[in-house]
Amino acid sequence: MKVDDIFSYAFGSIKLRKLRAGLTTLGVVIGIAAIVALLSITQGLQNTITVQLQTGLATDTLIVSTGRGFGLGGGGGTNSGFKLLVTDTQTIDKLENVETSMAIIQRVGYVKLGETVRTTTIVGVDFAKYTSIYSSTFVAESGEIPLNPENETVVVGKRVSDPWKNGTLLCNVNDTVEIIWTNATARPPRNETYTGHVTAVLKEIGGFGIGGPSDSNVYIPVSQAQSFFGTDECSQIIVKLVNSDKATIESVSKAITNAFSEEVSVMSSTAVLNLLSSVFSIIQLFLGGIAAISLLVAGIGIMNIMIVSLMERTREIGVLKALGMKGRTVLLVFLCESVIIGLMGALIGIASGWGLANVVAIVFRGGGGIGLGNQAAQAGTFGAMTITPVLTPMVFIGALVFGVGVSVVFALYPAWRASKLKPVEALRYE
Amino acid sequence: MTTPVVETINLKKTYMLGKVPVDALRDINLKVEKGDFLAILGPSGSGKSTLLNMIGALDKPTDGKVFIEGIDVSKLNDNKLADLRRRVGFVFQFFNLIPRFTARQNVELPMAIADLNKDERKKRAEELLDIVGLRDRINHKPTELSGGEQQRVAIARALANNPRFLLMDEPTGNIDSRTASEIIQLIKRLNEEKDVTIIMVTHDQLLAAQAKRIGHMLDGLIINDAVN
Repeated sequence: MKVDDIFSYAFGSIKLRKLRAGLTTLGVVIGIAAIVALLSITQGLQNTITVQLQTGLATDTLIVSTGRGFGLGGGGGTNSGFKLLVTDTQTIDKLENVETSMAIIQRVGYVKLGETVRTTTIVGVDFAKYTSIYSSTFVAESGEIPLNPENETVVVGKRVSDPWKNGTLLCNVNDTVEIIWTNATARPPRNETYTGHVTAVLKEIGGFGIGGPSDSNVYIPVSQAQSFFGTDECSQIIVKLVNSDKATIESVSKAITNAFSEEVSVMSSTAVLNLLSSVFSIIQLFLGGIAAISLLVAGIGIMNIMIVSLMERTREIGVLKALGMKGRTVLLVFLCESVIIGLMGALIGIASGWGLANVVAIVFRGGGGIGLGNQAAQAGTFGAMTITPVLTPMVFIGALVFGVGVSVVFALYPAWRASKLKPVEALRYE
Repeated sequence: MTTPVVETINLKKTYMLGKVPVDALRDINLKVEKGDFLAILGPSGSGKSTLLNMIGALDKPTDGKVFIEGIDVSKLNDNKLADLRRRVGFVFQFFNLIPRFTARQNVELPMAIADLNKDERKKRAEELLDIVGLRDRINHKPTELSGGEQQRVAIARALANNPRFLLMDEPTGNIDSRTASEIIQLIKRLNEEKDVTIIMVTHDQLLAAQAKRIGHMLDGLIINDAVN
C-alpha cells in the first residue's frame, strides 16, 4: 500500500472518532504546551538577564566587593569585619593590567521635592571615571554630567525624574532637591539632609542594573558621599581593565583577591554569565522534565485509546488482511494514526505554549507597572525588566520530535498487536 | 492438462478447543478447475468455513497440502500469504464492508492494498460497480444501501484484483429471499459470462442447486462431490 493511501486511511479512521481523537490530542497539546511555555519563558528570562548583565557589567570591568567567595552585586558575608575603603582604589590601581578603578558608596535614602518624597538609592561615584566606564549607560538625556562636579551636584536617573512614565516630571535639570538618608548609627537616629542641584537627568537605561547605573538611583560626587554618609567605607570598587581578554580578567581577579588576603570577592561579567547560563540550563532541564511527565501521561492515554480502537476494529483488520494487506502495513496504519495525533498535538501545543508564554510575559510586565507613588518606584526597579519569550529552533524541533515520538512509542505495542492478528480469528471477532 | 485453480491433498485441520483437539477437516481431497462453480453444502460445524479459509490462504493446514494455481500455501510466510490473498476474492456472509467508505472506495480498497494507482482504481471500481448493477449507488455508504446492495458491493470488491477465484461464505445468508435470488443470478452470470471460478459454501439447498457442481460435507469430510 502506498504511503499516501496509508495516510489517508489512517486519517479517515481518526476522523471517524473525532471526540476521542480530539481528547487524545489534547493530552499531547497540554504536555507540549507546558514544555514550550516553560522553556521559552525561561529562555526569555535568561536572555533578558544576560542583556541586563552585559549592559551593567562591561566586559572589561570587574566589581570588587567585600566578602569571601562569590557575591552577586556585592552581597556576601562580611563576618570577618573587613571593610573596603575608598582609598583601596590606590592599591588596585597599582596592579598590572588595571587601567583605573573607582569606589562606589551607596545608601538607601529619599529624594524630596516639595511635598513629594521618593525612595531611592543614593550613590556616590567619581563622575569622570563612571562616565568613562559606563559610557553607554551613564549618559545624560538632558543637562550635562560634570566631570569635575561641585559638591551639591546631583545626577538623577530617569525614573527619579519621571517616575510615572507619563511625562509628569518630579524634578528636572536645574531643580533643587533635598537628599535624605537615615543615619541609624547616630543616637538618636536622625535624618541627614542636604540640598543638591540637579545638573543632569540620565537617559533611560531599563533593567535592574546589576553593577551598573540604574534608572532609579541618584548620583552624587563620591567625596560628597563620604562626608554626607560620614564614612570611608565603600560598597564596591569598580575596576576597569586594559582589555577584556579572559586571561587578563583572571589574572587581575586573582591579583585583587590576593592583595586583600582573600577578604574580597571579585565579580567579572564572564564569570557571572557562565554561572547564569549553567544555572538556567539546570532550571530548563528541571522544568522541562516536569512538563515531560504530562506528556508521558498523554502517551499512556494514546496507548489506552489505541488498544480500545484495536479491539473495536479487530474485524476491520481481519477484512484488510483477507484483502491481502500485509502485517507491516497494518502496523504502519496504526503508527500513522499516532503520528497524525502526535503531530497535530505537537503543533497545537507549540502554538498554545508560545501563546501562553506571551500571556505570562505580558502579565509579568503589567504587574511591574501597577502601583502608585513610592510603591511604583520600588516596583519600577524590577518592573522595568521585560521578558520576551524566546522560542528557539531547538525547542521548536525538540517539542515536535518529542510529541510525535511519544505518540509513536506508545502506539508501538497496540500497532504491533494489530499487525499480528490472525485473519481468521479477526474475521470471526464480534 | 492445465493446473487446477485449487487443489487440496489429504488436507487436515485440527483446532484446539481449550485442551480438546477438534478435527475440523479430516481428509479433504478437492480439485477445482478454471471456470468451475462449486457449491459446498453441509450443516453448521461440518467444516465448510474452515475449508474456505484454507483455500483462501487465511489459515494454514495442520497436515496435507493446499495448492493455489500450483503454489503450495503451507510453504509461504505471512507476507507471501498476504500477496496471495490479493488474488483471492472473498465474499462474506456479513459483507464486511468498511462503513466509513463509499461503495466505490470499498471496491478500491483491495486495489489500493495492491498498489494500483488512483486513476486506474477509480476507473475499475466504477466498471465493477456497473457490472454488479450499482452504477447509481457509487457514492453511497454501506449504511445507505440495502443488504442485497451491500453484498453486490462486496462482490465487486472481491473482483477488484482479477482474482483467481471467488470464495463465498453463505453469500445470501443475511439477505431476504427475493434479493438473494438476484444475488445468485449475478453470481451465475459472473461464472457463465465472465468465466469467474467460484467456490461457495452454504447450507441452503436452493442456492446450491444453482451451481455446476455440488459437494456435500459432513464432519470434516467431503462425502459426495458430483456435477449438478
